[in-house]
Amino acid sequence: MSKGTDLRGLQPITICLGSHPGIIQSMIDYDYCLGRDKPSVVAIVGGGRKQERYFWGQSEVMVPVYPQLQAVPKKYRDEATALLNVQSARRVLAGMKEAFALLPKLRVANIFAEQVPEAHALEVAAEAAKKDILVAGPASVGVLVPGLFKLGAIGGTQYAQIVAAGIFAPGRAAVVSTSGGMVNELIHIVTGAGLGVSFAVALGGDRNPITTPAQAFLLAEADEQTERIVYFGELGGDDEYAIAKLISDGKIAKPVIAYIAGTVAELFDEPPQFGHAKAMASRQDETAQAKKNALRAAGAKVPDVFAELRIELERVGAELLPQDHRPIKQRRKSLIVSHVSGDIQDDVHLLGKDLLETVNENTLAGLTISLLLGHRVESSKIIQFTDYVLRLLSDHGPYTSGAMNTIVAARAGRDLASSMAAGLLTIGPRFGGAVNAAAGAWLQGVRGSSKPKDFVASFTTDGGIIPGIGHKKYRIDMPDPRVKALTEQFAGNRNDDRYLAFARGVEDVTTAKKGNLILNVDGTIAAIMLDLLESELDYGQEQLQELVSIEFFNAIFILSRSAGLAAHYLDQRRNDEGLLRLGSNDITYIPE
Amino acid sequence: MPRQKLSEYRAKIIISKALGLPYKGWSVDSSLSLNSQLQEAASADSSFVVKVDEGVKGRFKKGLVLLDVQHGDLAKAVKILSDKGYRWLIVEPMDSHVPTDERYLGLLSDREGLTLQYSTIGGVDIEQHAESLKRVRLNSETDWGHLAAETGISDKQLQQLAAVFAGNYFVFTEINPYLISDAGLKMLDAAVEVDDTAAFFVDNWDADDLRRHTGHNLTQEELNVQELDANSPASLKLSVLEPDGSIFLLLSGGGASVVVADEVYNQGYGKQLANYGEYSGNPNTEETYLYTEAVLKLLLKSSAKQKVLFIGGAVANFTDIAKTFAGVLQAIEEVADKLRAQQVKVFVRRGGPNQEEGLAQMEAVLNKHGLLGAVHSPETPLTAAVTEALQGVGHE
Repeated sequence: MSKGTDLRGLQPITICLGSHPGIIQSMIDYDYCLGRDKPSVVAIVGGGRKQERYFWGQSEVMVPVYPQLQAVPKKYRDEATALLNVQSARRVLAGMKEAFALLPKLRVANIFAEQVPEAHALEVAAEAAKKDILVAGPASVGVLVPGLFKLGAIGGTQYAQIVAAGIFAPGRAAVVSTSGGMVNELIHIVTGAGLGVSFAVALGGDRNPITTPAQAFLLAEADEQTERIVYFGELGGDDEYAIAKLISDGKIAKPVIAYIAGTVAELFDEPPQFGHAKAMASRQDETAQAKKNALRAAGAKVPDVFAELRIELERVGAELLPQDHRPIKQRRKSLIVSHVSGDIQDDVHLLGKDLLETVNENTLAGLTISLLLGHRVESSKIIQFTDYVLRLLSDHGPYTSGAMNTIVAARAGRDLASSMAAGLLTIGPRFGGAVNAAAGAWLQGVRGSSKPKDFVASFTTDGGIIPGIGHKKYRIDMPDPRVKALTEQFAGNRNDDRYLAFARGVEDVTTAKKGNLILNVDGTIAAIMLDLLESELDYGQEQLQELVSIEFFNAIFILSRSAGLAAHYLDQRRNDEGLLRLGSNDITYIPE
Repeated sequence: MPRQKLSEYRAKIIISKALGLPYKGWSVDSSLSLNSQLQEAASADSSFVVKVDEGVKGRFKKGLVLLDVQHGDLAKAVKILSDKGYRWLIVEPMDSHVPTDERYLGLLSDREGLTLQYSTIGGVDIEQHAESLKRVRLNSETDWGHLAAETGISDKQLQQLAAVFAGNYFVFTEINPYLISDAGLKMLDAAVEVDDTAAFFVDNWDADDLRRHTGHNLTQEELNVQELDANSPASLKLSVLEPDGSIFLLLSGGGASVVVADEVYNQGYGKQLANYGEYSGNPNTEETYLYTEAVLKLLLKSSAKQKVLFIGGAVANFTDIAKTFAGVLQAIEEVADKLRAQQVKVFVRRGGPNQEEGLAQMEAVLNKHGLLGAVHSPETPLTAAVTEALQGVGHE
């Protein structure tokens, strides 16, 4: 670690490897109490959901979740100064190596897992030393600098605990502990004595803590806020001899008061292993008594009885700084979060404005695309495109499977909603779903910078058909007029139409094989929508990918086609022909 | 527990294989039928050495090594050692040599890397010849040729040994004594400690190869807690010190638990301390129930006249007090009548998430059953609460 970690100059911007909602919430609460305008936790790396919801005071905020650290937007990676690692012990080494490589401004980290192999911890320690990063752990509850940041569970995970610990304003004693529970106990003792905490660090109870007690002591010595050092250590290992030497050599001049736990080990026949990995004395010099003697000889105060620690601190204690903070009242998590609409002071609001205001300001297409994207869209080009597509896809004749299902249901006497649902339920990979699939394909092609030729090859070797390519009737020499209409009106975007260009490139390859493998309407709509979102709304590829995975493009189709399906239902009801049944000519029966 | 002893048998297999050394030996589980386990050995053409293989230090001096055992006496030798309370044994062909040929070799790891220790005086009295031990750090500047000359082991084998050490997550190796043979290193006795947290990353050994000897046979309750610990992401530890003790501890937190046990010891109640243990890492209600059940069984069995149970810990950072206490209380309620009959008093001091709810529940239940000593929040210093509990038993 860090000879020079400047705890006080550190602006916490934290990425979490793995999620531990209790701990993360407590860190966000701490930010809130300090009066920050937003949480210092910017991203979580974990599986499953795309975001996690946390309280921000009484209200709630979303913290984005990414599957790997690599997938965290570069903006966050480049600014992150702190890392909370709550992954399992097995993943710690790989996770830390990756964090060191991908987070250029990383200054402080906390490793929560117990049972990290010693060799792995040492490998992390070597790397941390090179990069001058303060790493508390493994098996650590974290680092706390009152008034600045709380990294980890340290100080408690509930608002009431954080208040009781008295850790909003900086104090004068550094708390260094090999035990997570005892670091919190000592924080209470130190604040109770009126000294207050300058900073506190739980080093973890492993044999090879990444930051050693001696290194933490040097940090305290260099920290101008710190007047004295309070230390909790245990039997096992030889870290206390390094501290004793620092004191003897005058490198630690601030007063030290320490408790070394484990004299009870004298009761056991064989050296016992206590709760922490390190806590076992197999040699005489590892016993609590031997280490206490060494620290005393160097000049540290080392009471035999734990209660004396408190008495001694109360003797030097004074008035604690006032612990002003922004309070958090009772709160409860809501069931649903919506970015689209909801009540504000009992009035329905759409997209952040009063319902009627939004309605009056927008065309149907404008309102629709805004609702689908979850935010107000002002780009007239996108609104016009949406309008055109909504019209274009509204119906494609009674032959299509969607219309047929609606017609069959209507003729069977079902109601409007059921008949429309019967039609909508056919929408999927082979009917209507091609726009979404094509958007996914073009995005994948452009992201991977594939050549259209290789892209086509990868599809055909997988035996698949390419979404957005191919038409029954239209051919390269007899182009689809709808495709022409779309490109004429809506191409020419700021991103040089790179998605449309890619789709065209694919078409060049496929039509060379077969004349009807042209870029069809679905593929064209997908490509132009991608180009428009990128050019007009600055959507990044991550956002575009998200739109594909949540089926945004299918939503447009479903919406538009609903008009057609309703039309077919009403048409059939007007005709009122009775049940539709297939005749014997319609079925070929081939017995086994 | 992180640093654990590997069976001598497994250690020798791993080292021999890596160094290309011939090795013959048999691991014997004396709790199983011996015939099939000893069959191969019985057909070998030599006499044997039979040793306890449970990571016990100073085996020879404790009479846990039987030398020059003949074919027909193997089963008898196994019985002699198993009757002393040892389950795992190792049988090897006897090697005849002059004691002065015995040498010492050790490898240990620390923060700075690997250290090699060696001596030309090996054997059971190595500690009396500590001055003969030489220590050398192994790193890029190591003069392997010099070490080979000093130890009589080729530089190749020494480097292989260092590689075996790192590659198998060894943290300590002692080959004492060893001999120098045509094949190079010949191990007579070997002791290896591994970092058991690395089991996931290693193919050459697993949990079955780890040996633990506590100095006494573990009670069923300790075994139950060991199993509970092995199957939980939380940490649960229990060891019995004095079965008929009067002070029973049900503690939370690796650090605070030692502080509490120290306090008992420092105040002169060490002999009456029945157990040490702790749970931490936010165990669930079921786990604290089973853990408490084990402690209470021990408590009820103790013949001490005045017994107290101290439930406590520091101010938890993230362990949920209400949830963990729910399990503790469930176990207490199940035997509340028996506890009251033995006039057991329960003293509590704890803080952390949901402490108000947890402590209130605790007080209500203890009160209902007439078991209440005292229940304290973190306002009361941890050790003050211990002192109060100790007053309930008095010095014996």
